[in-house]
Amino acid sequence: MIRYSLYVPGDTWLHRLHPLTKLSFSLAAAVIIFGGPGGWLAALLPGLLALLALWRAGLFRQAARTGVRLLAPVTVMLFLIHGFFSPQNQTTLLRLGPFAIGQEGVAYAGLIAVRLAAVLAGSLLLVFSTHPGELVQALTNAGVPHGLSYLLGSPLLLLPQMAGRVQVIQAAQQARGLETGGTLPRRVRALFPLVAPLVFSALLDVEERSLALEVRGFSAPGPRTSLREQPDTPGQRVARRALFVLAGLLLAAGVALRVYGRH
Amino acid sequence: MSLSQRLKADFSTLTLALIAVAIVLNIVLGQVVSLLKLPIFLDSIGTVIVALLAGPWAGGLTGLLTNLIWGLISDPVAAAFAPVAMVIGIVAGLLAKAGLFKKWWQAIISGVIIAVVLSIIAIPIRVFMFGGVTGSGADFITAYLLATGRDLFSAVLITVIGDNIIDKVVTALLAWAIVKGLPRRFTGRFPRASAVID
Repeated sequence: MIRYSLYVPGDTWLHRLHPLTKLSFSLAAAVIIFGGPGGWLAALLPGLLALLALWRAGLFRQAARTGVRLLAPVTVMLFLIHGFFSPQNQTTLLRLGPFAIGQEGVAYAGLIAVRLAAVLAGSLLLVFSTHPGELVQALTNAGVPHGLSYLLGSPLLLLPQMAGRVQVIQAAQQARGLETGGTLPRRVRALFPLVAPLVFSALLDVEERSLALEVRGFSAPGPRTSLREQPDTPGQRVARRALFVLAGLLLAAGVALRVYGRH
Repeated sequence: MSLSQRLKADFSTLTLALIAVAIVLNIVLGQVVSLLKLPIFLDSIGTVIVALLAGPWAGGLTGLLTNLIWGLISDPVAAAFAPVAMVIGIVAGLLAKAGLFKKWWQAIISGVIIAVVLSIIAIPIRVFMFGGVTGSGADFITAYLLATGRDLFSAVLITVIGDNIIDKVVTALLAWAIVKGLPRRFTGRFPRASAVID
């Protein structure tokens, strides 16, 4: 199944925040989690803050479910690989037959897992409560070139249409006897008949699309007027600046610590 | 030509419409091939097609935006690999410009080169952000290499190249065949496509 959006419709305080405020939080959190000083603490604090916000907006359950779906395989492999085989392992926690679980590997796997969970929580806060279209519009209003915001927005609308076409092509090719199972050479031979019709038909639409855009003044210079207003407050504007400054300072501190801290 | 003029030529309305469609192809085609249970994901075929038709910058932008949109609509983890997807487009475009996408066997070589170069970008991301792990079957190769005494970097290097080489060769070949198969009336509107077609 192709997902078209992780957006959870609603009207909570988190939904009502300006998209750029949430985007700033997600980006600042990611920078602090991976670049800030303090290892565990730098990862835990933004992560917990994001979880708190998700919980206050009633999105905690969905976040937990998505988090498990996306991170469970990675986390299991992290602990297996680093617990058993990390070259840093010195102290043995547990012995299982010929293999030993090392403390250093488990601690490292734990740190990476906490970081990933924290970054994911920070980004789910944005994608759960913001319709992708709203985010694209906020970026356009903030001065992102409209060619670029077209590229961010139009795939979201094209996706369901193209996914429908995929199913038609699959059904049509199978109806005329294309075998999609069986031996490897047979499956390789089925690749081109499945891929080519979709790609060709999609590419040949491109010309028509660009004509349609041109006659609607797509490449006209000057600012664009938008139909929908997005409420923003002075408080949020200050908060966004503060987040960027904070992330920048913590990143500088984290880099300095990594460069000079080892003497 | 000045830089801004060149950018304008590279990003005409036609190219922008092409990029938008290619982004969707990247996202959708993985679904199509999953039916065949082959060890390929084809999630950069749109990127390579754009790179062949409209050059390295348009190709790079296609890859970058594909992963950002993917992150937005289905899996935020994909956004972390956006720089890798961007490099695939840039490298494919440069290879086409250098005349390495004219014949089918050149497309194979280009696929190998793309796989090797993307690994250079992918490995630091995998090691520092993900501890060298992806949560797929390829992790068992990493585990085996670590168990036989390699360090994490080289274990991930071998895994990433092995995991990508078949996919990128198939992607390059398909993209080459598709661009060759497009009507001249269409490819004629992309000046850079002449580096691939004849």
